[in-house]
Amino acid sequence: MKKTKIAAVLLTSVMSVSAMAGCTKTPGGTTAGTAAPGQTAQASGQIKEFSAFFAVPATTEINKDNEVQKIIAEKIGAKCNETWLAGQQASEAVGVFIASGEYPDFINGGDAMKALYEAGALVAFDDYIDKYPNIKEFFSEYEWSQFRQSDGKIYWMNPFENIYGADKTTTQNGEAFWIQARVLEWAKYPKIETLDDYFKVLEDYAKANPTTHDGKKNIPYTMLCEDWRYFCLENAPEFLDGYPNDGSCIVDVNTKKIVDYNTTPTAKRYFKKLNEEYAKGVIDTGAFTQTYDEYISKLSTGVVLGMCDQWWDFAYTVNDVFKTQNTEQYGYNYVPLGLTIDKGMENQWYTSGGTLNVSSGIAITKDCKDIEGAFKFIDDLLSQEIHDLRFWGVKDVDYKVDENGMFYRTEEMRKNAADPNWKTKHLCTYSYFPQWSGTSRDGKNAMMPAEQLSEFKDTLPEPVKKVFAAYGANTYIDLLGSVNKAGPWYPMYSYSNNMKTDTAGGTAWTKMGECKHAWLPKVVMSKDFEKTWNEYMEAYKACKPEDFVAEMQQELDKRIAAYEAASKK
Amino acid sequence: MSRNAISSLQTGDLQSKKVNKWAEARRQPFLLISSFLLLVYGIIFYYVPVLGWITAFQDYKPAKGFLKSQWVGFAKFQKLFANKTFFLAFRNTLCMGVINLVFHFVTAILFALILNEVRVMFAKKFVQTISYMPHFLSWIIVTAIVRDILASDGIVNEFLMNVCGRQMPIDFFAVKGYFWWIVAFANVWKETGWNAIIYLAAITSIDPSLYEAADMDGASRFQKVWYITLPSLRPTIMILLLINIGNVLNAGFELQYILGNDVISDVSKILDVFILDWGISQFDFSLGTAAGIFKSIIALILVCLGNWTAKKTGDERLF
Amino acid sequence: MKKKYGAGDIAFEVFLVVFLVVFVMVTLYPVINTLAISFNDGFDTITHRIHFIPHAWTLDNYKAVFAKESYRQAAIVTVARTFLGTAISLITNAILAYVISRKKFLFKKSFSIFWVITMYVNGGLIPTYIVFQKLHLTNSFWVYVIPGAVSAFNMLVIRNFMNAIPDSLEESAQIDGAGYFKIFVSIISPLCKPVYATITLFVAVYQWNAWFDAMIYNKMHDEYTVLQYELMKQLQTAMKSAGSVEGLKNSGTTITPTSIRAAATIVTMVPILFVYPFLQRYFVTGLTIGGVKE
Repeated sequence: MKKTKIAAVLLTSVMSVSAMAGCTKTPGGTTAGTAAPGQTAQASGQIKEFSAFFAVPATTEINKDNEVQKIIAEKIGAKCNETWLAGQQASEAVGVFIASGEYPDFINGGDAMKALYEAGALVAFDDYIDKYPNIKEFFSEYEWSQFRQSDGKIYWMNPFENIYGADKTTTQNGEAFWIQARVLEWAKYPKIETLDDYFKVLEDYAKANPTTHDGKKNIPYTMLCEDWRYFCLENAPEFLDGYPNDGSCIVDVNTKKIVDYNTTPTAKRYFKKLNEEYAKGVIDTGAFTQTYDEYISKLSTGVVLGMCDQWWDFAYTVNDVFKTQNTEQYGYNYVPLGLTIDKGMENQWYTSGGTLNVSSGIAITKDCKDIEGAFKFIDDLLSQEIHDLRFWGVKDVDYKVDENGMFYRTEEMRKNAADPNWKTKHLCTYSYFPQWSGTSRDGKNAMMPAEQLSEFKDTLPEPVKKVFAAYGANTYIDLLGSVNKAGPWYPMYSYSNNMKTDTAGGTAWTKMGECKHAWLPKVVMSKDFEKTWNEYMEAYKACKPEDFVAEMQQELDKRIAAYEAASKK
Repeated sequence: MSRNAISSLQTGDLQSKKVNKWAEARRQPFLLISSFLLLVYGIIFYYVPVLGWITAFQDYKPAKGFLKSQWVGFAKFQKLFANKTFFLAFRNTLCMGVINLVFHFVTAILFALILNEVRVMFAKKFVQTISYMPHFLSWIIVTAIVRDILASDGIVNEFLMNVCGRQMPIDFFAVKGYFWWIVAFANVWKETGWNAIIYLAAITSIDPSLYEAADMDGASRFQKVWYITLPSLRPTIMILLLINIGNVLNAGFELQYILGNDVISDVSKILDVFILDWGISQFDFSLGTAAGIFKSIIALILVCLGNWTAKKTGDERLF
Repeated sequence: MKKKYGAGDIAFEVFLVVFLVVFVMVTLYPVINTLAISFNDGFDTITHRIHFIPHAWTLDNYKAVFAKESYRQAAIVTVARTFLGTAISLITNAILAYVISRKKFLFKKSFSIFWVITMYVNGGLIPTYIVFQKLHLTNSFWVYVIPGAVSAFNMLVIRNFMNAIPDSLEESAQIDGAGYFKIFVSIISPLCKPVYATITLFVAVYQWNAWFDAMIYNKMHDEYTVLQYELMKQLQTAMKSAGSVEGLKNSGTTITPTSIRAAATIVTMVPILFVYPFLQRYFVTGLTIGGVKE
C-alpha cells in the first residue's frame, strides 16, 4: 500500500512537471535554445517568439494568454516574453548572464549596458537602422550619434521620453512646489510667484483653518529627506533661480559654464526661509526623520498643505487614496506652482521636448537567432496601429472613437485601465520597448491616453478643475507657466548619475551628497542660521566641489561640441 | 539512548581483521554498485565545480573560457587581500557567525531547561509546538517580518514611543551598532525552539535517580540544573558545537542581502554578498572565486581544529 | 511527597508563567499580524494600525494573489519540487547512508571522507553554474531536484540512526542468505521510519523554502518560478520600486504592496505549517537518535 502511495505521488509530480515542460519548452531543448526561445514554433505556426530581460523590477507582469499581446502577435507575427529584474540588483543579474555567456534576444541591462558591450554580447545597430524606418525616425542623427560606443557603433537605444510631433504633456511629472486646491480656493486664487508668497498663503490658511474636514491638525509644509529622495529638500535653488532640472548643477546659458547651485545666494535665501518657517512652526517637525512610507501616509490623510516634490514621487498613490477614500471633494489634491526666488523671473520647472538618457536602453544580443526579425519587431511596435494597441488598447473595448476621430474612454474603460487584473490579462504595453509620447501620427490624438486632453480633464477632481478655471489653465503645465530654454546638453544628470568614486569629480560628488545629507537638516533647524550656514559651507568646501564642477564642465563642453558638429552636417 | 547514538557518530574504521577483499567484494555488489553511482554523482556535482577554482588564478573572461583566459598567478588573491571591503566582509561574517553560534547554544539550552521545569504537560506541549513553528518559515518571510516589526511605524517603535516615551522612531536599519544584533535576534526567533528539541530529548533521558538523590540532599532547583542536567548535556553540546563550528562562516544570507543598505554596509556586508557584489556585479569572476576559496579553506581549518580539540579533550569527534 | 513552597519557588513559578506568555506572544505576533493585514483593506492599512484583528475585512488581497498567473504557476512548481525533490533525496540519502554504515563495506572510511568534505568545500556560484549549464540543468525544472539530491548532512543523520541498529539483525539475515539490498529494503528501512520522517521534513522544508536556484538558474523561465521567489519579488516591490513611477502607477486599486505581500506570505507559509504538527512525533525521535540537527 505504501508503495502505491509513493508511486502515485511520484507520478503526479512527474506529470505536472512534464505538463509544464510540454507547453512551454522547446521539444528536445538541446540547442541551448532554452535561453533563446526565438525559434520555438507555437501551435499557431508562424508566430516568432522572442525573449527579453529588463534589469528593472516589473511594473506589470502580463499573463501568458494576454489578449492584446495575442492580437499584436497575430498582426506582426511575433511576440516577446518579458522577464524582469527580481530579487537581485541589476548588475548582478547582468553578471550572471555574462558569466554564463547565454543571453535573451533583447536585453536592457540598466546601468550595466557597458559591461554587456565589453563582453561582446550585443549586436550593433548600424547595419540595420536604415532598413527600419520607424526605428530610424526615433532619433535624429545627432541623438543617434550620442549612443556611439568606443568602437564608434551603436548598440542600444533608449526607449523613453521621446516626443512625436507636438508635445501633449498635461501633467508636471517633475518637480514643483505643490499646494492643495483647498488653500487656493480659500485664498481666492491669488497670484503666487515667490517663495515668500507661497509660505504666506500656507501660514494664513493654517491659521484660519487649523484642521481637516475630519478634525486632523493641518501641517502647512513638510519635506521628505529620506535617502536619495532628499532632492525634495536640496535641489529647489536651481529652479528658484529659473533654471531647469539639470539635476546636479546649473548651466549658465550665456557663459556655458557649470554653476554649483548649492552655494548661490539663492540657495542661502531658500534655506534661510526654511529656517525661519521652521522656527515659526510652519514646517512639520517630523520632516527630517520621516521615511518615504510615513510621508506618503501623511499626504494621504490630506493634512499637508504643501511641499516640494516630483509628481511621480507622491501623486500616483496619494491621488488614488483621495479617490477611493472619497476625500477629493475637500480639495486635498495638489497643484504645482512655478515659484522663483524674486518676482518677475522666468521659470523652467517644466522642460518640454523629452529627455534623452544615452547611458542605457534596449539592445539585441548575439544569441538572438533572428536579428532581422528582432529589429522588425521593434520597428513594428513603433508603427501607429501597434502603438495604439499597446497604449490605448483595443478599439471599442478599451477606448472609443468619436465622429471627429478623437479617442475617448468611458468611466468603465478608465476603471479597467487602472485595474491591475485587467492590466495583466488584457493590456500589453511592452513597456520597456521604444515608445512615443506627444501627438499621434493622425495629428489629433495623443500617443498616450494620459496625455489626451479630454481624458485628462474628465478625470480631474472638481476642486482642481476650479483651480484650472480660476487661473485659465488647461493642464498642470499651464499652471507652472514655464518657458522652454533647455540647451542641447540637457539633462546634465544623465552624466552625474553615473559618476563613480573612481574619478576626483565623482569622489567629490559622493562626498558633497553625504555632506548635504548631514548638514541641511541642521541648517534648517538651527537657532543661529548664519553660524550654522557658515559651518556648513566650510564642511561643503572640504568636499572639493570644484573637482565635481570641473568634470561636469568637461562633459558640458563635450556635449556642446558634439551638438555643433552634428548640426553642421 | 542519545548518548549511545552520539558515540556512534564516529566512523568505525574497516574491521582490522584481514579479510579476503575479493571474497568480500563479491558479497556486496549492491554496496559497490550504488557507491559507484553515488561517487560519480558526487564527483560531478560537488568536485567538478571545485575545478572552477583554477579561475581564481586567471583573469577569467567567460567569452574566452577556462583555456584561453590569461593566467595571473596569485594576483587576484593579492587584489582580494588589498581590498578593504573584503576584510570588512570577512570580519562581519565571522562576528555574525560567532554571535549566532553563541546565541544558538545559549538560547536553545536555556529554553530547554526552562521548558523542562514546566510541570503542566499541556502547557509544555503547547509552547513547544509553537516554538518550532518559526523554523518552518523561509528566510524570505522572516526577513520581511524583521523589516516590518522594526520599521519606523512597526511594533517595536510603536512600543518605544507609546510606552517608553521616545520622541522619534529609531531607524534600526540606519544604525551600524544594531545590525548584528538584529541578525542574532532573527536567528534566535526562528531557531530556538527547533534547536532545543535535541536538548529536551537528552534531558528526558537523564537517569531520574540522580535527581531523587539530589532531592534527598536538599538541592535547590538551580543546583540540580547546574550539577546534574548541564553536565549530562555535555556530550550533546560538544558534538553539536563541532558540527556548527565549520558553519560559522555561513552566517545566513537573506537578512544581510535584503536588509543591508549603503548606510550600514560596513557592518552588514558578509562574504557571500561580497562575492555577489564583486565577483558578479563588478564582473570580476576570478575575484569572486578567490574569495570563495578563502571561505572554504577557513571553514575546513575550523572543522579540523574543532575535531582536533575534541580529540585532545576526549570528547566526541566528527570524523 | 509533600513539599513546601518557599518564596523563591513561587517567584520562579511566576517567572515561568510570564516567560511562557511572552515567548508565545513574541513567536506568534508577527504571524498573526501578517494574517490580520492580509485580510485588511490595503488603503485602510495605510491609515490604521493593524495588530491582531483586521479593521476593514476584505478578501481582495487573496483574490489578487490567486489572480496572478505567476503565483498559480509557482504553486504548482513548488508542490512538484517538494514532492519529487523529497522523494528522490530520501531514497538517495538512505542508500548512501546505508552503504556508508555497513561495517564491512570496503571503502567505508574513504567514502565517508569524500562526502564530509562536500559539506565545507564548494566550487562557488559561477563554476557551479557552468557545470549545470553543461549538463543542461539550467533553464529546466530538474535543477531543483537533481543537484541537491544527495547531501552529506542528511546522510550523516540517517547513518547515525542506522549505526544504532544492532548488527545482529543484519548478521542473522545474512545467515539466512539475504543480500545487502534485501537487508536494506526489508530490515533496515522499516526500522528507520522515524529518521526517514525527519529527513522528509528537512528536505521538504528546504524545497518549499528555496528560491535562490529559481532566481539564478531559471530567471528567463517564469514557468519554473517558485513561491518563495514570487514572494521575494513582492517584498522588493514593497521596498524599492514604490518610488518608481511605474511601480506606483501599478498600485491602481485598493491593493497595496504591503497588503498583497501579507496575503502572499500567508499563502506561502500555511501549507508547510499544516504539515509539521503531524510529523512532530516522528522528527523528535528521528532527530534525537540521528544525534545531529540542523
